[in-house]
Amino acid sequence: MTRTEDVPHYLVEHIRARVAEEAHELGVQVDVREGKVYLRGRVMSSERRRDVEEAARAAAHGHPVCNEVSVVSSREPDEGEQERLS
Amino acid sequence: MIRVAAVGDIHVGADTAGRYRRHVTGLAGHADVLLVAGDLTRHGTVEEGRVAVEELKDAPVPVIAVLGNHDHHSDAQDEIAAMLRDAGIIVLEGDGAIVDCDGVRLGVAGGKGFGGGFPGRSAGEFGERVMKEFVRETRSFSERLRQALTEVNEAGADVTIALTHYSPIKETLAGEPLEIYPFLGSYLMAEAIDEAGADLAVHGHAHLGSEKGVTSAGTRVRNVALPVLGQAYAVYCLEPAATRA
Repeated sequence: MTRTEDVPHYLVEHIRARVAEEAHELGVQVDVREGKVYLRGRVMSSERRRDVEEAARAAAHGHPVCNEVSVVSSREPDEGEQERLS
Repeated sequence: MIRVAAVGDIHVGADTAGRYRRHVTGLAGHADVLLVAGDLTRHGTVEEGRVAVEELKDAPVPVIAVLGNHDHHSDAQDEIAAMLRDAGIIVLEGDGAIVDCDGVRLGVAGGKGFGGGFPGRSAGEFGERVMKEFVRETRSFSERLRQALTEVNEAGADVTIALTHYSPIKETLAGEPLEIYPFLGSYLMAEAIDEAGADLAVHGHAHLGSEKGVTSAGTRVRNVALPVLGQAYAVYCLEPAATRA
């Protein structure tokens, strides 16, 4: 018998599934290196960044979680950033 | 010249209520129309739909939206679409609309769209029933998109835009894992766009993708998912057909 949570390949998918189901974030990348879980991606608010981390921790079976998720800027573009399509 | 503001994947919820509103009210003088490329909500609940309405209603420019996969998650997509329409927002679901933007007739055709993949790596209508249904969903939508684009073109639109949630090309998915491309879009939509003719195709959905691409026949495509843009919206300036050199 193998504890699948000890196999990084399966652990990644367990965490991704939990993040999708509980934090409803589908675009978060999960990597496991040397027993440590890394979360990367972009979300809309700091609250959702925290939600992603909480969901990941709940599925990480005690592995340390490093939250590298970024919060998307919502600044408005200035006129110089308009794209002219011709 | 028409200035098209576009954004997708704003994913509003009770926790972010009111935050996008200031961008919408601030569009006056900066854009002539706002296109919303789906995933207005996180879970697709009616409550989140109400938040989306509050964010987008009473805009200073016409607002045209499609729903996304998140907006379907709670099976309340019809109610969300109805609430948006009641607030004056045009919601496209395989159809088109023409709006007057300061004298320019802008035709927009679109809908959520669906997946299936891209040439050489696409799903076929074969095998299990659910697999065939998956492909037929995209095929059916793409046919409606082609018809809707043709109709707005024939109705005399000066500028025509295809608006979807899923991507019609793979170039604007660059940055996403290759393995999930078939769940992010389908070339069938690009084929419909190229066949009917459009000045621009706008989509969202692929948060890790890239903003700019082009279809095989030369239609510009823009992925306007908010995480891709890194700003509240993008603005694209297009010349009406009659004034192009």
